[in-house]
Amino acid sequence: MDKTTHFGYQQVAESDKAAKVAEVFHSVAAQYDIMNDVMSVGLHRLWKRFAVAQAGLRPGMKVLDVAGGTADLTRLFLKEVGASGTVLLTDINFSMLREGRDRMLNEGRTPPTVQCDGERLPFPDNHFDCVSVAFGLRNMTHKDQALAEMNRVLKPGGRLLVLEFSKVWKPLEPAYDLYSFKLLPLMGKLVAQDAASYQYLAESIRMHPGQEELKTMMETAGFAKVSYHNLTAGVVALHKGFKV
Amino acid sequence: MIAAGIIERSLNHLLRQSPGTAEALLRHAGSSVRFDLTLAQFDFRIADDGYFSEAVVDAPDAIIRPTPALVTRLPFFGRDALRHADYSGDPALLATLDRVFKSVSWDVEADLAPRVGDIAAHRLNQLGRNALARVTQGFAALGYNASEYLIEEAELMARGVDVTRFNREVDTLADDTARLEARLNQMQARLPETAGS
Repeated sequence: MDKTTHFGYQQVAESDKAAKVAEVFHSVAAQYDIMNDVMSVGLHRLWKRFAVAQAGLRPGMKVLDVAGGTADLTRLFLKEVGASGTVLLTDINFSMLREGRDRMLNEGRTPPTVQCDGERLPFPDNHFDCVSVAFGLRNMTHKDQALAEMNRVLKPGGRLLVLEFSKVWKPLEPAYDLYSFKLLPLMGKLVAQDAASYQYLAESIRMHPGQEELKTMMETAGFAKVSYHNLTAGVVALHKGFKV
Repeated sequence: MIAAGIIERSLNHLLRQSPGTAEALLRHAGSSVRFDLTLAQFDFRIADDGYFSEAVVDAPDAIIRPTPALVTRLPFFGRDALRHADYSGDPALLATLDRVFKSVSWDVEADLAPRVGDIAAHRLNQLGRNALARVTQGFAALGYNASEYLIEEAELMARGVDVTRFNREVDTLADDTARLEARLNQMQARLPETAGS
């Protein structure tokens, strides 16, 4: 019998999760950026800038943006690594990747774009100075495998940045739950005409490992000096680890 | 974590703004440096391009321990404040780091210009410099006045020259006393011989 995993609060066969996640992102891709702004009141831009500031990038470096979607991080990384550097935008979902690629083309940039699975990265060992995954790890079926893959493609001394929803500060939980399960699907319905996808978003956040748990997972995957920083009272956390 | 990232970014920004500094560090590429702030330690490796990169380090090649005096003096004394740090480790690397830290300078105007424009950046920079100079001057004057009051008016403290003279007099007195004691001992030693003859 096929192993099961969670898809939001539902239990689904592991082999079905990727397709179900893909459905969600095909559905929201066109409205993804505007929904991010509406849902986070623009805060996601600050979270991403903070993540890039922690990447320690310099001109000429090679960066891999896993689950990069609409290229928010890729565009910021490009500014840091300059013309001599490389930023690879990847995503498993073609609709999201197309949004990101088109957005960059409209800005006159043509960074390499690759559709690939974060759990099976088609890149050589010890290749990148920095790997990032922003709001993507949550949707992966085998997070441990994805982290191990990211470790494999990083150069020794390179760093992994995981920006992801996390466990919010306890006193804020009731308000956050109200927002996530009542307001978020409503906003999804009004703005993106898709309440179900945003219901999944709220549920998947609750099912994602908390700060300490993810830290342990990164250490198990081979990362050293793993640390995290809570953003907006733990709504989001940035985890950072180094390949040794 | 956040502090290490900020230190790394700030150091590299200063290196970028100070020509020749990253080049000077190039010959130490691969070496590791630890900034030991007692409560937290931040490890960096000098990358192949001469810039600092946060790293996992077991035994650093050089350790820099800024003292509290450095933190308080840094805004007013700038690079000179770096004398108030303890250095240990590879002497060649430390010599280069010392030279680099003394030659880095923050071009505030260049950082402000893209945000507020050249003229405003220049004026803001001048304003900041003048304000800092006035604050420094104010603190120096306050310190001078306080010391003058404690020495001249309240006589709670002694002037440096007076302390030196007093020390010299104490030394002379100690020498005289030692000589007298030696003389007395000598005389006391002769006393039985005189009594016996």
